[in-house]
Amino acid sequence: MKKLFSRTALILSLCAVSSVAVAEDFPFKKQIVARQAFMQVYAYNLGLLGAMAKGEADYDAKIATGAAGNLLAAAKMDNSTMWPKGSDAEAPGLDGKTRAKTETWSTYPKVTEKHQDLTDALIEMAAVAGNGLDAVKSNMGAVGKGCKGCHKSFRVPKDE
Amino acid sequence: MLKKILFYCAAVALLILLVLHFISLPRTLDASLIPQHKADLQNGENLFWAGGCASCHAQKEARAKARLMLGGGVELETPFGVFIAPNISPDRQAGIGSWNTAEFINAMVNGVSPDSTHYFPAFPYPNYRSMPYTDLIDLKAFLDTLPPISSATADHRLHFPFNIRAAVGLWKLLYLNTGTFSARPGVEASVERGRYLVNGPGHCAACHTPRDLFGGEIKNRLLAGARSLDSASSTKAPKSNRIPNITPHAEDGIGKWSENDIAYALESGFDPDFDSFGGSMVEVQENMAHLPASDRLAIARYLKSIPALASTRD
Ligand code: HEC
Ligand code: HEC
Ligand code: HEC
Repeated sequence: MKKLFSRTALILSLCAVSSVAVAEDFPFKKQIVARQAFMQVYAYNLGLLGAMAKGEADYDAKIATGAAGNLLAAAKMDNSTMWPKGSDAEAPGLDGKTRAKTETWSTYPKVTEKHQDLTDALIEMAAVAGNGLDAVKSNMGAVGKGCKGCHKSFRVPKDE
Repeated sequence: MLKKILFYCAAVALLILLVLHFISLPRTLDASLIPQHKADLQNGENLFWAGGCASCHAQKEARAKARLMLGGGVELETPFGVFIAPNISPDRQAGIGSWNTAEFINAMVNGVSPDSTHYFPAFPYPNYRSMPYTDLIDLKAFLDTLPPISSATADHRLHFPFNIRAAVGLWKLLYLNTGTFSARPGVEASVERGRYLVNGPGHCAACHTPRDLFGGEIKNRLLAGARSLDSASSTKAPKSNRIPNITPHAEDGIGKWSENDIAYALESGFDPDFDSFGGSMVEVQENMAHLPASDRLAIARYLKSIPALASTRD
């Protein structure tokens, strides 16, 4: 009896878990999850350089060179399939799931110019990141402009 | 009998409106209140950046030197209609080059134009009005050094009844009540400097504090997050239409950010996770990056000192 009870509880809880998963399904989930993870790769690597620039970590030429190289490699990745048309925050069911703005597609190819600005800044950063803390610091601004330039026009503000 | 009562009510209502109208008439500034003060251009420039004048009065997306060309033209899309920021360059015809100090102070403090009409609060004078006259004299002196631009800007395109300037007078009776900033005794000077910058020139509350039905800031929800009024940079999707809570609330606000995190974000545009600012905060941050580091730290210290509020949906 006890066993039956615990089994039922287990099955019920599995149902609960899977129904949560079903509720969380939304259009273009794969692409949206992928591109957000892709952005997190930017933020992670930039965080390594940023911690040094901010004075929270000691400068380390190897880590700095590696992080800057990763950032540039990421920027050179072809991720065009992660941005299908109609996967913006105003699309049905996507409010709160994605922060991509309609303008990404409606003003295309403007977004690719922003991406190019970031790539240019990262080429510079990758070339000098191993040369010392000052080089990292003085290139953070341009990389930041690269990220902000796109987030300013093509991403809705964060929800609280 | 009913007719009589109705007539009586209408007469009283009319009388009240007339009285309100008269007490809300725009007034000129008494020039004798303006102190003798030798303008400090460096302080004027700092206040220009802290006040974010270029975000509205320079051209859209202007960079570097172009941020100092205040020919106006930026369109502010709001639920009330489209406001167009005017030319405030020192051009004598198209700009404000012919204004005297009293006229400038009256615009910034009372929201009243030299020809005695009310300005719409889309011009953040409800926040700027706490600036001491000496700071405003410095700011005007700095603006006077900028290049004159001779082009005129178009008129606002507002929906009725929001296009009635006289109605702004009534709005002011309800909401225009902050006085000139004065430091609280016994509170650390840098926190008070931050309080001044945030609530005065920086007008952080203009975006981060929710507003009531008539567009007045809800004072006991200071900086606790709001619906965005900027229709252009947000979307129709309600969850994507918010401006974040920046009180020290651990979950809903920025309680987990250190003072240094806040100061660094204002300097660089990167949050503690090295995501970057976006939307209208980018311009604000790039203006704040021009301030001395001590001012950004002061803002950070003040933000850590305000009441932590959980987010609600206004
Ligand atoms: C070409 C435009 C573009 C550039 C350049 C860009 N981003 Fe993004 N970023 C976006 C968009 C759009 C989103 C929203 C994606 C979504 O929610 O579907 C985003 C989201 C993010 C997120 C949140 C991801 C999540 O988990 O929801 C982070 C973090 C981020 N970006 C970091 C960065 C950093 C750091 C840089 C610079 C190195 C950068 N981004 C450059 C467009 C860009
Ligand atoms: C959020 C946008 C915004 C910001 C920031 C802003 N203004 Fe304005 N400003 C406006 C708008 C809109 C008007 C027009 C108001 C009206 O017509 O009633 C205006 C009007 C003015 C006027 C009156 C101009 C005239 O021709 O009558 C002056 C002076 C002025 N602003 C100065 C400033 C200064 C100085 C700053 C920075 C400290 C500043 N503004 C920041 C939006 C802004
Ligand atoms: C014109 C409107 C506007 C003004 C004025 C403004 N902000 Fe913001 N702020 C925003 C928006 C929009 C965001 C969200 C940015 C995003 O998610 O990309 C934001 C985000 C922030 C954040 C990050 C919050 C988080 O949880 O990530 C901080 C901190 C902040 N603002 C501080 C300030 C300070 C300090 C001031 C005054 C000096 C200020 N803001 C003035 C619009 C504004």
